[in-house]
Amino acid sequence: MTGDLLYDVRNATRSFRRGDATINALGGIDLAIEHGEILALVGPSGSGKTTLLQLLGALDRPTSGQVFFEGRDLNTLGDNELADLRLRGFGFVFQTFNLIPTLNALQNVEAKLAPTGVPEDELRARSLALLEEVGLSDRADHLPSQLSGGEQQRVAIARALATEPRVVLADEPTGNLDSRTGTEVVDLLTSLSEERRHTVILVTHDAEIAEKAHRSIRMQDGRLLEPTLA
Amino acid sequence: MFYFRYLRSELVGRRTRTVLTLVGLALGVALVITISGLARGLDRAQKTALNPLSEIGTDLTVTLSPQQDTGGFGRGGGGEVVQANQSAVTDLSKLGKPGTQFVHDFFLPGTQLTFPQKQTAKIASLPGVASISNGLVLSAVHQEGVVPKIVAKIKAGGQQLDIRRQIKPPTAAEAAAIQACFQKLGVGGGPQSGTQPGGQQGFGGGRGAGGGGFFSSPAARKCLPARMREFRARITTPQQTLKQVVSPPQTNIKSSSYAIGGIDPAQQSIGLVTPSQLSRGRFFSKSGGHEALVSAAYAKRKSLKLGSMLDLNGTRFKIIGLVSPPLGGQTADVYIPLAQLQKLASQKGLANVVLVRATSSSDVARVQKEIEQTLGSGAQVASAKQVAASINGSLVDAANLSHDLGLVLAIIAAVAAFLVAALLTLSSIGKRVREIGTLKALGWSQRLVVRQVLGECLATGIAGGLVGVVLGVLAAAAIGAFGPSLSASSTTGAAGANDVLGLGQALARTASTSVSLTAPLSLSLLVFGFALALAGGLIAGGAGALRAARLRPADALRQME
Repeated sequence: MTGDLLYDVRNATRSFRRGDATINALGGIDLAIEHGEILALVGPSGSGKTTLLQLLGALDRPTSGQVFFEGRDLNTLGDNELADLRLRGFGFVFQTFNLIPTLNALQNVEAKLAPTGVPEDELRARSLALLEEVGLSDRADHLPSQLSGGEQQRVAIARALATEPRVVLADEPTGNLDSRTGTEVVDLLTSLSEERRHTVILVTHDAEIAEKAHRSIRMQDGRLLEPTLA
Repeated sequence: MFYFRYLRSELVGRRTRTVLTLVGLALGVALVITISGLARGLDRAQKTALNPLSEIGTDLTVTLSPQQDTGGFGRGGGGEVVQANQSAVTDLSKLGKPGTQFVHDFFLPGTQLTFPQKQTAKIASLPGVASISNGLVLSAVHQEGVVPKIVAKIKAGGQQLDIRRQIKPPTAAEAAAIQACFQKLGVGGGPQSGTQPGGQQGFGGGRGAGGGGFFSSPAARKCLPARMREFRARITTPQQTLKQVVSPPQTNIKSSSYAIGGIDPAQQSIGLVTPSQLSRGRFFSKSGGHEALVSAAYAKRKSLKLGSMLDLNGTRFKIIGLVSPPLGGQTADVYIPLAQLQKLASQKGLANVVLVRATSSSDVARVQKEIEQTLGSGAQVASAKQVAASINGSLVDAANLSHDLGLVLAIIAAVAAFLVAALLTLSSIGKRVREIGTLKALGWSQRLVVRQVLGECLATGIAGGLVGVVLGVLAAAAIGAFGPSLSASSTTGAAGANDVLGLGQALARTASTSVSLTAPLSLSLLVFGFALALAGGLIAGGAGALRAARLRPADALRQME
């Protein structure tokens, strides 16, 4: 592999305790992801796609094994370092949009940018610019409840891109959208990311969406089905 | 600043929750403030109205009670009380002629025995006694009305007496006289035929021969001897006893009782009432004329004013002042100079209360003992503290209640306010775990998340606290404006141990005063209530936010909304 290797996942497992039973959501994942790649994780629900995405996005820690990001073992980082990594390194898009319901579209973008400490006027200008890029500059003062699903997801994309992250992680971004809107949203996400040379990891169960990725990996029962050579 | 805008959006956006939390906090704070204020008000009322005496701490009250064990009936014990209260018997016949209006006041010493003023001089000479003041406190019964006419109607007579008696026949001489009379009248017939001396027969014949008409004629009656013309006899009717219930006379006599105290106008530093207890008007002049002081509560009850005249059995007293003496064992409604009362109540040279001031409060216990020894059994020496303990009434009940319960209530209210704030905050955070997860996914650090949530709690706490303080102040003001009047009264002479012959209750004197309820507030109380709301919100908010923020973002995001 070259120096462009962004992720190196080595034998990562993740199990949950539910009562007395232990559920192995991920069983020994080995995965390498290159910088600038658009990767689709495909598989039926319960196959472990979301769990893997959360490990990659530093939202969770593996039960065993390692996740190297830019050569650093995420296990060795503390909560604050992981928070900073999520702030500057990652951008998330969720199936349920996860916008802050009391903040308007503009403020939802600002919520991602504010912890970086940018001055107030820059915060506003950059957020507005991002909303314009996703075509929602006229909706800046609308609350999420006043926006359609597609519009909400576009706000979420603007928010994910706000800190110029290295990776955009999207968990079923089309799951709550009709297929036409879903396609539009994914097209927007991939095109904006390619412009910026962001790596995109896209979890979906929709084959049509997966086709938009450079590479797609099938998952079943917590394991990868296809060879993972990049 | 983004974080402030976010804070504002959260509070405004979740208006219902914010208002609910705010109202809960405000009510809790208001409750704490009001209850604490009320407790303070009661404490203060009790202090000012009941026992400023106890603050002096050097005053003793000496009274003499009849001793049940000093003698049998009629001597020493009950007898003294009965004797002392003899004037209580209302002798209607002495009040005036029936039908006339009367006003009379009876003065009774109650169960406190009187003693010569000379005897109290002994107390004054005891070491440790600074000064003494004699007093005479009597139960007065004021009666007025019309002297009733007492008439008993007894019906007698109506018996029937049957008397039978044989009338003696006329003697020969009488018969002859009758005969002669008849002849003179020239009456023929019957009497002529019987000329023989058998007058009896002739008489009888006359009867039998149907000559009745003759005898009944008025002319013939004149011929009869006086004895036969009229029947006379002396009859003694049988002796009998008549019984009839006499219905009591109709009267309109009204009785009312009050306590009257005689005080020494020369002694103004210590006494049943002192110049410092004047609420209006002036105190007695040293000489002590026909002047009266009236307790403010009694004046209000009887609509008496400064300058009103009180008529006590013909002596008119001018009301020169209104007083608010502390309630103690020896409180009266009306005060007049001691000498005047002694004269009115025929208690010359007698007192029944001695107020003693010890030179220092540390001497009180010793002086108390010495007086008891000097006066012998029956002497009751009460310190101001003991007097205060005997006071009762709604004020005392309320004050005691507030003393016992006020603190508990305030604590309960505080805990309730705290819990309300905490629970509302916790539930609000509980519903935001997913939002917190999102913030963490965006890269917000734990510190930042907690700070944001705490900021919200701080804002609600400040607002809730402020509203609560305002509500509390309003509630306290409302209590001051519309609050009930509390009464306090002290009863003297009804102590069970001295209740000789059951007179104790009847003769007990009761004095009372009333205080309106207020709930005074202090800045520290308001600050406390405010801080409580803030602390409740902050602690709960901090704990809840920390718990949520410490979750791994993945776990927080998994939480259902």
